[in-house]
Amino acid sequence: MHVSMIELKAALRRCFEATGYFVGNYEDAANMILWLEKHGLNGLAELQRALPYIDKDSDKPLSTVIYEDSTSAIIDSHGRSALNSIAASVDLAHAKALETGIATVTVHNCHNRMFILKALTDCGRRGISVAAYWQNGSQTVTEHTAAIKAGERYPSYSEATTSLSVNEDDKQALTIICSSRVDLTSSLQHSKGNRNARYISAEEIALNKEHSVDFGIDIDEALWADINRIGAGVLVENSERSRMGAGGR
Amino acid sequence: MTTPAAIQAALRGDNALPLRPADQVMNLERLGSIHQSRLSFMRTLVRRIMRERWQIEAARFDLDNQGYGTVVYEIKTPNKLYSFVLFSDYLSPEERNDRVIATKWDLTMALVDGEVDDIYLEKLRQNVPLQEAGRVDARVFVLSRANRSARNFDYVVDQLAKGEQPDVAQIAKVGYLYRTTAVYGSGKLGMADWEKVASRHADFARPFAAEMFVCLMLRNFSLLQAEHIAKHSAPDTYTPMLPEVKRFFGIGNSTGLGMAPYLINHPLLINQWVEMRELALARVRVLGNINERVKNEFSELLNRSGVHTAETVTEDEWQTDNNKQVLNDLEKIRQHTSDGIESWDSLLHWSEGNCSLQGQELLVSVMLELYPELVDDLEDYHTAEEFLDLDPVMPVSELQQVIENRYKWALDYDFSVNGAKDTFWYRSEEKMEPRLGDATEEDGKEKQMALGVAYAVRKCYDQLCEYAAENPDHSTARFMVARPKLRGIVRRIQSMNRCIYGDIQANLLDREILPMHLLRAKLAFFGVGKFDPRSKLWVRNTMFQGAPLLEDIGHTFNDDWFMPLAPTL
Repeated sequence: MHVSMIELKAALRRCFEATGYFVGNYEDAANMILWLEKHGLNGLAELQRALPYIDKDSDKPLSTVIYEDSTSAIIDSHGRSALNSIAASVDLAHAKALETGIATVTVHNCHNRMFILKALTDCGRRGISVAAYWQNGSQTVTEHTAAIKAGERYPSYSEATTSLSVNEDDKQALTIICSSRVDLTSSLQHSKGNRNARYISAEEIALNKEHSVDFGIDIDEALWADINRIGAGVLVENSERSRMGAGGR
Repeated sequence: MTTPAAIQAALRGDNALPLRPADQVMNLERLGSIHQSRLSFMRTLVRRIMRERWQIEAARFDLDNQGYGTVVYEIKTPNKLYSFVLFSDYLSPEERNDRVIATKWDLTMALVDGEVDDIYLEKLRQNVPLQEAGRVDARVFVLSRANRSARNFDYVVDQLAKGEQPDVAQIAKVGYLYRTTAVYGSGKLGMADWEKVASRHADFARPFAAEMFVCLMLRNFSLLQAEHIAKHSAPDTYTPMLPEVKRFFGIGNSTGLGMAPYLINHPLLINQWVEMRELALARVRVLGNINERVKNEFSELLNRSGVHTAETVTEDEWQTDNNKQVLNDLEKIRQHTSDGIESWDSLLHWSEGNCSLQGQELLVSVMLELYPELVDDLEDYHTAEEFLDLDPVMPVSELQQVIENRYKWALDYDFSVNGAKDTFWYRSEEKMEPRLGDATEEDGKEKQMALGVAYAVRKCYDQLCEYAAENPDHSTARFMVARPKLRGIVRRIQSMNRCIYGDIQANLLDREILPMHLLRAKLAFFGVGKFDPRSKLWVRNTMFQGAPLLEDIGHTFNDDWFMPLAPTL
């Protein structure tokens, strides 16, 4: 079915609010999903994979900084989704880059790392260049990188299937490099046995956005129903007394 | 024509104009006291239509003798062609309900990009009359519905059918034939997102311009329909309405709580609207030359405002007292300025010590009215990029100072006192209607919307002080990793600190909170008049009263429909 971008965003906000995300985080989560979908990078498919687990994060510890110096940090997200943890990690890289010129933050135990793209875009818009790299997969390993230049509105994104063997000790890691001095670009090398590689330029991502602005978003009806079903958790039951609270007579 | 650089230089730095301070302007009661002005969105829309001579004609007019059927207007602007599609259906008196929860209406409408062919019209017919229960696509950018003011409508039709004009005294009491009960835009129900409207439809790229336009078209249709019905019921005796009587009809509007969350959830946009109004006032205070013409016009506007206020009918005691106070204030201003006006600056200061808030703000609107050359070019600067960005590098000590300086008003509330957190704002499962609850008596507080900015600031500040004592060298980013639950409020505090005016200063959780102030503030920016509160939670008002008619487009236009008065026949 067809929905507008704001409808999707509002429904996602309710969905994450009902799931127990806090103020600031549920907006971030909604924006991260919408951003990917709006720019042709399958945010809804990514959400569909994440949806069965999104209510599990409330039982997990909050992210912790396990190492830090002036130019780097390591953050343990304790198995949380990027939807509720990655923005703070990017902010930390951003702050360190402003102070030292270039900084690296490594995030461990973080799921759904594709959602970092919205946070990267916010940095670019605000004059900071960022690149990110992560691997994914429990059977076949895929690798991903995205980068945005300072002052730009759109990042580039690359992904590929690798011939790397699955690491039993996979830390669900993500590396963020952030700079206020250097414009970072990223693309995957072809020399590591990559297959099905694709590179999407910032220009292509911008074009995808234009289509979404003109026509809105197509969404699977079942997924839309799921989002709204979860989001209904923020609604208060109707009653005569409640109707008085809307000014009714 | 002004520029962004000129506006910035007037707002900030060593050549800034003397703006009223945030603590004064963002006080909720004052915001709830402002009146329409020449920067209100209805005024700026009508100026654009009249100056650009938009061509608006009925491309389809299928109404039966009772006024039911389908009408399609085509609107040609210098940029594009749009269609305004309207369905008029029979509605029994028992079904007529102004609440959001209604499911049928007298009129339903859509504003659509481009021409509407038969196939697309049928698609609209299947969905537009259903409103929230229907779906449309991104060609549509406003959906609305309206109900008749049955008594007034029938009276006007009867008068015209008899060959008589409606009594203007009656119109002064209820100045409309229809009340719009919802005007949806910005992507609701599958419509075009604001991002599309702003980037693709230059004619409507100002906040709420398209929504206001639909109300203007509704107003014009309401007059046409009344004439149409009267003409067919008594062709021998029918007389058309005089244009000056028609102009005195506006469109009614019922506004409820839905607007209140909007104001809190769009703080950067609201700040922008306030900045432009205050900048206009500062320009007048410093640059407004006072000559005989201006003095005469000032006197005339004071008189007009008085008559308009006296003609405003409301059963609400609070609003009646406000109106009486405004009449007293106007008299005081008249007396104070009878020997001349020293300067606008001194008059404004005098008003702050001698007039009610409503009187002071009416004076502001009158001052703006006098100087189109100082005010009107700000109409193009009412949009804002709404990014509430975190400043990750800000040291926690600086964040503390920001809160102490910019949110002193929030820290001054004592949230431990009885009643300070008794109100909660929530969405009902009934059409997600926004409602207010009493936390001491009702369930649902745990599902409240995050509108308690003042309380959130308080909690944030307390945690921040504790954190900063232990980690004085940390940045905001580091604080956010440790306290992710505060992300939303910290981002808001830092973003609003970059604005001149910042957040609306009120504790919306207080038992005594008056949502009416929020509604009225937004409606004043829209440009409505004749406020008639029906409770503390919703208000009737009149839009476009006195505005030019469609048939006036292309003729002389003096943009002088501020505080419209009943015509003398």
